[in-house]
Amino acid sequence: MEKTGAEILLQTLREEGVDVIFGYPGANSLPIHDKLEESPIRHYLVRHEQAAAHAADGYARATGRVGVCLGTSGPGATNLVTGIATAYMDSTPMIVLTGQVTTDLLGSDAFQETDIIGITMPITKHSYLVSDPGEVKSTVKQAFEIARSGRPGPVLIDLPRNVMAAKYEQSGNEDVTVSVPQKRHVERKKDAEDLQRIANYMNMSERPVILVGGGVKLARACDELSGLIEKGSIPFVSTMMGIGSVRSSNGFNLGFIGTHGNELANRIVHDADFIMTIGARFSDRSTSIVKEFAPLATIAQIDIDPSSIGKVIKADIPLVCDIREAITKLTPLVERKERREWLSRIEKERNILGKDRSMKECGPAGAFIRDVQAAMPEETTAITDVGLNQIWTVRSWETKTPRGMITPGGLGTMGFSLPAAMGVKVGVPDRGVVVFSGDGGFFMNIQELATISYYNLPVKVVVFNNGHLGMIRQIQDLFYGSRFNDIELGNKVDIVAVAKGFGIDADRISVEDPGAGIEKMCAAAGPFLLEVIVNPDNYVYPIIPPGRSNIDMIGGRQG
Amino acid sequence: MGIRERIIAILVNNKPGVLSRVAGVFGRLGYNIESLCVAETISPEISRITSITNADSDFIDKVKKQLTRLVDVLDVTELFPGQSAQREMILIGINLDQEGRAEIVRSIGMFDCKIISMRNDYCIIQVAGSREEVETVINFLKPLGIDKIARTGVLALRYKDSGF
Ligand SMILES: Cc1ncc(C[n+]2csc(CCOP(=O)(O)OP(=O)(O)O)c2C)c(N)n1
Repeated sequence: MEKTGAEILLQTLREEGVDVIFGYPGANSLPIHDKLEESPIRHYLVRHEQAAAHAADGYARATGRVGVCLGTSGPGATNLVTGIATAYMDSTPMIVLTGQVTTDLLGSDAFQETDIIGITMPITKHSYLVSDPGEVKSTVKQAFEIARSGRPGPVLIDLPRNVMAAKYEQSGNEDVTVSVPQKRHVERKKDAEDLQRIANYMNMSERPVILVGGGVKLARACDELSGLIEKGSIPFVSTMMGIGSVRSSNGFNLGFIGTHGNELANRIVHDADFIMTIGARFSDRSTSIVKEFAPLATIAQIDIDPSSIGKVIKADIPLVCDIREAITKLTPLVERKERREWLSRIEKERNILGKDRSMKECGPAGAFIRDVQAAMPEETTAITDVGLNQIWTVRSWETKTPRGMITPGGLGTMGFSLPAAMGVKVGVPDRGVVVFSGDGGFFMNIQELATISYYNLPVKVVVFNNGHLGMIRQIQDLFYGSRFNDIELGNKVDIVAVAKGFGIDADRISVEDPGAGIEKMCAAAGPFLLEVIVNPDNYVYPIIPPGRSNIDMIGGRQG
Repeated sequence: MGIRERIIAILVNNKPGVLSRVAGVFGRLGYNIESLCVAETISPEISRITSITNADSDFIDKVKKQLTRLVDVLDVTELFPGQSAQREMILIGINLDQEGRAEIVRSIGMFDCKIISMRNDYCIIQVAGSREEVETVINFLKPLGIDKIARTGVLALRYKDSGF
């Protein structure tokens, strides 16, 4: 039967399990939109393409499936760029579809032509220009395979208008075999040996720690990892992206490491004699000064992506391997232990640092977030923006399920949270969804209130209004002699009125005295915005100054 | 190990855009490509890229890891001088007067090179050999007035079959 390129595209997306596309049309993507109506795939019309990319990203992070977004050529495609980069940095499996000018015009600076493949080359895992409707099916299948295999990431498919509109006679037997090019040297022979070495270290070391990165969630290895931790009684720390991989309440959790991390986590890593890193790439935010990171420890690093291993910190035992497979094979090799001495030493340190103090480190904002969590259903996903609001949230929200906390850790993209939350709500409609944003980040994609309102997505939006770019203010305060330049947002905007103008119910409260505000938000059937007035001096402590090591923090324990 | 010339060979799928992805990795890591040679292999769907970069010993590891992330890169390896044959070819264009003409014809026999075009006032010479050999010829011909040259860049092949 004859089908257009667009029909083949949509049919193949269906075969790959796609049920939702976040997008925004334009002349060069119209052949696709023209056929979307007939497809069972739902299309969500956002208000800015950046939001389409973040929504697809949020959808993927919340569901574990591949997120899909669609923009037209030229400005539509370039608007997607920040969202693609965000997904790339956090290894989100995503398919980015872009309209393109007709093939005869390619390279002619035609109206709304941009070389989006060239622009996105460093921020996509791979990309394709489809020049023939006969290639659509195999290209899309291959793109999905690449997006979700190995270390996942965004794959872009550029779709010229005439290729989408052209008719193509599909042969009866439509089985397309996908072949992702295979690498030549697959050095897997030593795996068993390396795993045994890691287990030996784990069994013999006195002060072992597991460092959990975002790769554990991506590999769906959370349960396996919890099992390993409990069997060996091994305390664990996380990177920001690793938060929530293991139930944080199982007693072995020390918090997350790095610039804005928990003091306990940073100190224990510093004392450890063996660290098994799993699915983490040692970003500079996690390690601070590299040469002073974990100075006493032998380091094993397990990752699916060879380029993550040894990039920043030299691993004594590197192992390139699927994470779930590695943990599954490792668990029987690790001895059941109690580790009384190590764990009691950690408990002592925990007590010295004091639970009370760690609660206070985020100020009233931290307490407020815990109150929101208590009022929301147990099965709730929190989405953070970037800035103080993000650190408050990842430190105060107790993540109970692996996909319960979503944060743009790698790129630190302000404006991520609101559009990402739309994708989350669409992906997991039965879960509670709450956004924590600063006023700065909120303004960056404020237009998406219109999308939330139009589709009546019951997303709860907390906007911490401190009238400033809070985190930058803290940095200026501490490291730039309190010269507060160019960070005041002011209080001229009536955010509650704005939300209401978008058709979203809203309320304003102060962080110290939330009154009935939290309840009102949680009880609302539809979307709700809660503006929370926060003192701009509500910072986050401890913090590690640039150029210092992870135990050299401001606002931490003295000595 | 300090900075020296490093030769790497890369096998890639012979497809549009692949070279720019490969070159992009070098650029993003801050390395300059001194020479680059690309052509299809015995299997037309696979191309071989041979490139030279002046770099320290970290280079191979970093470039190899990042290149291997590219979907269309199949293999990356470093080729060492003692373990591989290395050749480069150059075309040299020279402006001639009567004297120079005689001089070139006389001296060309000393080297392993060929005159592939000879006109009244211009000739093109082909030189092929190791890096040192071709450099020697260039230095010898310089005083005669080289107009322009085109070089293939170094090609290298490991002596023993080892998949590369
Ligand atoms: C798109 C973007 N631009 C700039 C920054 C730099 N930046 C990091 S945190 C921050 C302040 C954020 O302010 P706000 O959104 O009000 O949140 P707060 O820190 O006050 O919670 C800025 C400007 C960024 N991360 N992303």
